[in-house]
Amino acid sequence: MSYLIQVYGETEGNKEAEERFEHVGNGDYSLSFLSLNSAQRHANKHVRSVLFANRGLSMEFAVEAKNVVKDFGEIRALDGPSFNVRQGEIYGLIGPNGAGKTTALRVTSTLLLPTSGTVKVFGRDVVDEALEVRRLISYLPEEAGAYKNLSGHEYLEFMTKFTTRNKENLKETVAIAAKISGLEERLRDKVKTYSKGMKRRLLVARALMTKPKLAVLDEPTSGLDVLHSVHVRRIIKQYVEKQGVTVFLSSHNMLEVEHLCDRVALINKGKIVAEDSPAALKKKANVSNLEEVFAKVVGLV
Amino acid sequence: MFRGLSNVIIKEVKELIRDPKILLGIILVPALMFPIMGLAVQTAMQTAEESMRSISIAVMNLDNGPVAENLTNFLTTLNVKIVEVNNLNFSEAVSYVQQSNLTGLVVIPFGFSYNITEGLKTELNVYTVFRGGGIAESTSSSTISVLLKTFEEGLVFQKVHEKFPEEDPETILNPIGMVERTIIKGNSVNIHPSALFGAMISQSLGMPIGIMMLLIFAMQLAATSVASEKEEKTLETLLTLPISRFTILAGKMTGSIIVAVVGAVAYILGAIYYMSSFMGMMPAEIGVDLAAIGLAPTPISLLLLGASLFMSLISALALAISLSVFAEDVRGAQSLVGPLTMLFVFPMLFTMLTDIHALPFPLMIVLLAIPFTHPMLASNVAFTGDYLTAVIGIVYMAVFTIIVLYIAARIFGTEKILTAKLKFGKLRLRKRQKDQT
Repeated sequence: MSYLIQVYGETEGNKEAEERFEHVGNGDYSLSFLSLNSAQRHANKHVRSVLFANRGLSMEFAVEAKNVVKDFGEIRALDGPSFNVRQGEIYGLIGPNGAGKTTALRVTSTLLLPTSGTVKVFGRDVVDEALEVRRLISYLPEEAGAYKNLSGHEYLEFMTKFTTRNKENLKETVAIAAKISGLEERLRDKVKTYSKGMKRRLLVARALMTKPKLAVLDEPTSGLDVLHSVHVRRIIKQYVEKQGVTVFLSSHNMLEVEHLCDRVALINKGKIVAEDSPAALKKKANVSNLEEVFAKVVGLV
Repeated sequence: MFRGLSNVIIKEVKELIRDPKILLGIILVPALMFPIMGLAVQTAMQTAEESMRSISIAVMNLDNGPVAENLTNFLTTLNVKIVEVNNLNFSEAVSYVQQSNLTGLVVIPFGFSYNITEGLKTELNVYTVFRGGGIAESTSSSTISVLLKTFEEGLVFQKVHEKFPEEDPETILNPIGMVERTIIKGNSVNIHPSALFGAMISQSLGMPIGIMMLLIFAMQLAATSVASEKEEKTLETLLTLPISRFTILAGKMTGSIIVAVVGAVAYILGAIYYMSSFMGMMPAEIGVDLAAIGLAPTPISLLLLGASLFMSLISALALAISLSVFAEDVRGAQSLVGPLTMLFVFPMLFTMLTDIHALPFPLMIVLLAIPFTHPMLASNVAFTGDYLTAVIGIVYMAVFTIIVLYIAARIFGTEKILTAKLKFGKLRLRKRQKDQT
């Protein structure tokens, strides 16, 4: 078994690390904490992670997908793509409707079983170690709702209680979510009184508040107006830079992806047709934006 | 394994209880419906009683003999208000009775007194005004005939006494005095059977109905709690949380049980109030001390009934949850679970109306194969002392439950919970394609 432990700071960090450890695994383990020396911290202020007890499993990738096939009856939704999401990056799947984006995210989130091929999240298989994987991820579906008879606050508390039993942490996490969502006082109202945009903000906050190791976000800004989309994108970027969260997202808004993602994969008819950083893709195709890259790659131009 | 279970249960209960449809349909309406029904019946009965006390009838006395006079005096002493209409003709009298809100018209024909004195048969014409089909109306009309019958009995006694002055008229009229008693669990008990059945009615009718309602509530709730996750698009998020799928299943079942029990308690309290509003009006001798005659439930029979009920509840919930997985929304889930109501209604009707073991063999087997027959049979254990039947029922339900729970857990554990759908349209299409080829 292998564990990845993040330590935030030196004193209060150990508590947080323990909390996280509880969250990551519950088997036999031996671990020792290393406190970060200040030189290390200055050297890389974004990567504040210290790792341990790695007994041979590859920790290089947050998501490692190999030849994933997913059939729904006679329809093949994923036709054997392989891709890797590196730790600490924002990786975007882009493509038209029905290209297989949501299926790829659902397989990664343990909701669907691949027909063949494998997907690993931080080295854990999504089929054989589904529960372990669920402890590492947070999944935001494209069309998601919240329990309409709970208040926004109760909803966030309900979700937080699965990751922490500590009352202080619970309060802190919910406060973070309140800040991300920007719903403030309205969190006291029942979810059924929320507008579509408010509900989406609540759900985005839910997905990020627990600082998961991997956030799987399906169309994170779907249904949001321009201002809130900008806010959500900024939050996602912040979480990756400051909290060490890895983000695996999908979008059909290619301009959004261009600004947000470190690397993107263009997916069409269940296959990845190109993969690189947005800048490199544009350069290779010699065009000015990702939409044109996509059109060129799938042979529309 | 059950980490996060209490969290799921609390959420389920909050979601269900705060749903206005559920709150209204499963808790408030049953709790209020029966008391309101009881109140209506009580009011109707009181009105009937009052109208009995203040009954007023028109009398057209064409006889004017001594017996006719006795009759009117008899009625007057019983507080019947009598309006004499001798000065009107028949049709005038009829319309007068209708208009002046009297209960009816009694016409004493000419020769009434003579015939009775001479030992000849005579007749009395009674006309009751029809004012609708309510309880109060039927009571007041029957009151007139009861009063007249009483008068007739008095006459008979008098006649018998005149003919056989040496003998007791009671002995001549009712030579056989019948004393009815009941045998319970092999012992003769000094209670009239009908009094006993009256006292047992709450067990023999109330329990099966109560059990059926509880099971139906619970199934509807469990089906709703899964289907609303699909309808409100919360299921996917729930399934990616760091809790086992079995915890989600157990949380949903427990939440549904809690809310169903609240609903059933509301229903039972309402029903008790309803029953007691009738019982209060029944003569006191019907009150039977069940404990004294060994019919009060013993701790063992209560325990068995409790276990039997619990097992049936779990199996009903597992069944409902397994089925609701195939529905895409709450309405779909409810219509899938709806037909299962038959599994409660048939056992309820048969246990209420007959003894299942006296039915034709194939029918008995079918009924015993339905797991929900067994808690209803177990509710009889208190009177029969047949613990074995209850135990066999519990074991049978346990096996059934384990199988259904296993299926439910399988469905919850895989992607089927997201992808399973009953594709009626597709099936029909395939069939049509097959037919064409």
